Amino acid sequence: MYLLRQPEDKVQKFSNALLAARSQVGQCQKCFHLSAEPECEICRNLERSEDQICVVADSRDLIALERTREYKGLYHVLGGLISPMDGISPELLEVSSLIKRVDQYQTKEVILALTPSVEGDTTSLYLARLLKPFTQVSRIAYGLPVGSELEYADEVTLTRALEGRRSMD
Amino acid sequence: MGLTEKRLLIIGRNGAGKSNLLEAVEVLGSLRSHRSGNDQDLINWGEKRAVLRAVADNQDNLELELRRKGGRQARRNEKLLARQLDFLGPLRCVGFSALDLGLVRQEPAVRRHWLDRVVMQLEPVYSDLITRFNKLLRQRSQLWRNWAHSSSQERNSLLDAFDVQMALVSTRIHRRRGRALRRLEPLAAIWQERLSQGRENLVLDYLPGSCLEGEEEEESWRLSIENQLMAQRVDEERLGSCKIGPHRDEVEFLLNGLPARRFGSAGQQRTLVLALKLAELELVGELYGEPPLLLLDDVLAELDQMRQLLLLEAVGEDHQCLVSATHLDLFEGEWKRNSQVLEAEFLMGK
Ligand SMILES: [Zn+2]
Repeated sequence: MYLLRQPEDKVQKFSNALLAARSQVGQCQKCFHLSAEPECEICRNLERSEDQICVVADSRDLIALERTREYKGLYHVLGGLISPMDGISPELLEVSSLIKRVDQYQTKEVILALTPSVEGDTTSLYLARLLKPFTQVSRIAYGLPVGSELEYADEVTLTRALEGRRSMD
Repeated sequence: MGLTEKRLLIIGRNGAGKSNLLEAVEVLGSLRSHRSGNDQDLINWGEKRAVLRAVADNQDNLELELRRKGGRQARRNEKLLARQLDFLGPLRCVGFSALDLGLVRQEPAVRRHWLDRVVMQLEPVYSDLITRFNKLLRQRSQLWRNWAHSSSQERNSLLDAFDVQMALVSTRIHRRRGRALRRLEPLAAIWQERLSQGRENLVLDYLPGSCLEGEEEEESWRLSIENQLMAQRVDEERLGSCKIGPHRDEVEFLLNGLPARRFGSAGQQRTLVLALKLAELELVGELYGEPPLLLLDDVLAELDQMRQLLLLEAVGEDHQCLVSATHLDLFEGEWKRNSQVLEAEFLMGK
C-alpha cells in the first residue's frame, strides 16, 4: 500500500510530477511508457522476453508492476481507459498501436492488467475481442480487491495476481 | 452522548438537527443514509469534514470521517479499515422515517430503493453491485450519445463490452432482489394479518425488468439477458433508453389479491409499510442473532394511536429505539415509559 499511506498532498505532488515528466520527457515510441530516449529502458533491455506484452492503463501501473520484479516481458501503456462519460474512446488510446505491435512481432501472449472497475473491464473486454485473432489473451484474475486501484495494490497481491492470470474467452 | 434507557426520544422543532442525529447513527451502522445518500448534508456548513463516532454495546469504537471533497475513512478501535465493509456489524440498525410512508403509492424507483436497502442488510456487498450497475447504465447511455454518428461497427463492439458486464451484474441483482423478497414475504404477511385483525392477506410480487426464463441459474439468466440487451438495441437507438434490466424492476404489493397501490386505502397502505418495516426488523434480528437498533424519524406522530401501540408491542423490550418528533405529546403514553428525553436545541454546534 504505497501511495495510500502517503498524505494526500504528497500523492498529489507525486502525480503532478509524473504528469509534468510526461510532457517534458516524452514517451517510448514502442510501449508509450515515460522515457527520455526514443525507446525506454525496458524495451531496450535484451533480457526481457518479447513473447509477452502486459497492457496497463498508465505509467504508474507499470511502475507498480515493475516493483514486483516478477514479470520479465514487455509492456504497452494505453494512456487511459475507455470511458464514454469522460469522452475517452478507443481512438484516444494506444489501441491500434498495440494491435499493430502484436501482429508485427507475433507476440505469444497479451496480459491485460487493468483495474477491475467498469472502465477497466470494458477496456479489457474490448481489447480481448480485438486481440483474439492475433494472440492468446489473459488477464490478471484475482487477488485484487474489487474497486481497488492497481497502483495501490501491494507487491504480494500483484505477484499472486500475475501468477493467477486466466485466459479470456 | 450516552444511551442509558431502551428508548431515546429526541424532541425539537424542524431543522433543530434531530434528523441529522438519526442519520449520523444510520450512516455509522450501515454506511448509508436513506434520507439523502449525500455525505455533504452531514458536514457542517463551511467545514471540510465531519467525524461521526459511536461506541457500540460490545465496546467497539466506531469512527467514520466524511469529507466534503468526497471519500470516507472508517476506523474501528482506532484502526483504519482498508475495506469499509469491515465496519459493518456492531451497530446494525433499521430506519423508518415519515418519507417511507409513501412507499406503496409512489413511483417504482422508490420501491426499488427500499428493496435495495433490505438486500444490503442481508448482503452488504450488494451495494457494490448497485454502484456498478448504475455506472454501467450511465456509461452505456453516454456511449449512444457520443457515438450517434460514428460507424456502427465500432459502437457495437463497445456496446458488446458493456452488455457482457450488464448481463452479469443484472443477473446478480435480480437474484438477490428476488431472494430478499421471498425471505421478507412470510414475515410481512404475518404482520399484515395481525395489523389488519386477520382481514388482509399480503403477497409481495417481484416483477423483474428483464425477462427471466427458466431455472434460476446464473449462467442461463446471464445469457438470456445478454440476448435481450442485444435485441433491443434498435429500439434503444430510437428511444435513447435501455429497456432491459433491474432499473426497470417493480415490486407489487397485493392485498387479498389486489394491487395495494391502486386499490388500497390510505390506511391500508400505511399499515402495509408498517408491516414491511416490522418484517425487516425481524429478519435482520433473526439473521444476526441480535435485535437491531430501530430509528424512527418523525414517523411515530404520523401513525394513529392503535398503530403506535402495535408498533411498540412489536418492538417490545428487545430493540433499542431512537425516536424523533416535534412534540413530546405526540407519543402514545406507553412510549414514554423507560425513555430518555433529549431536547434537540442542544444538538446544535456539537
Ligand atoms: Zn518502451
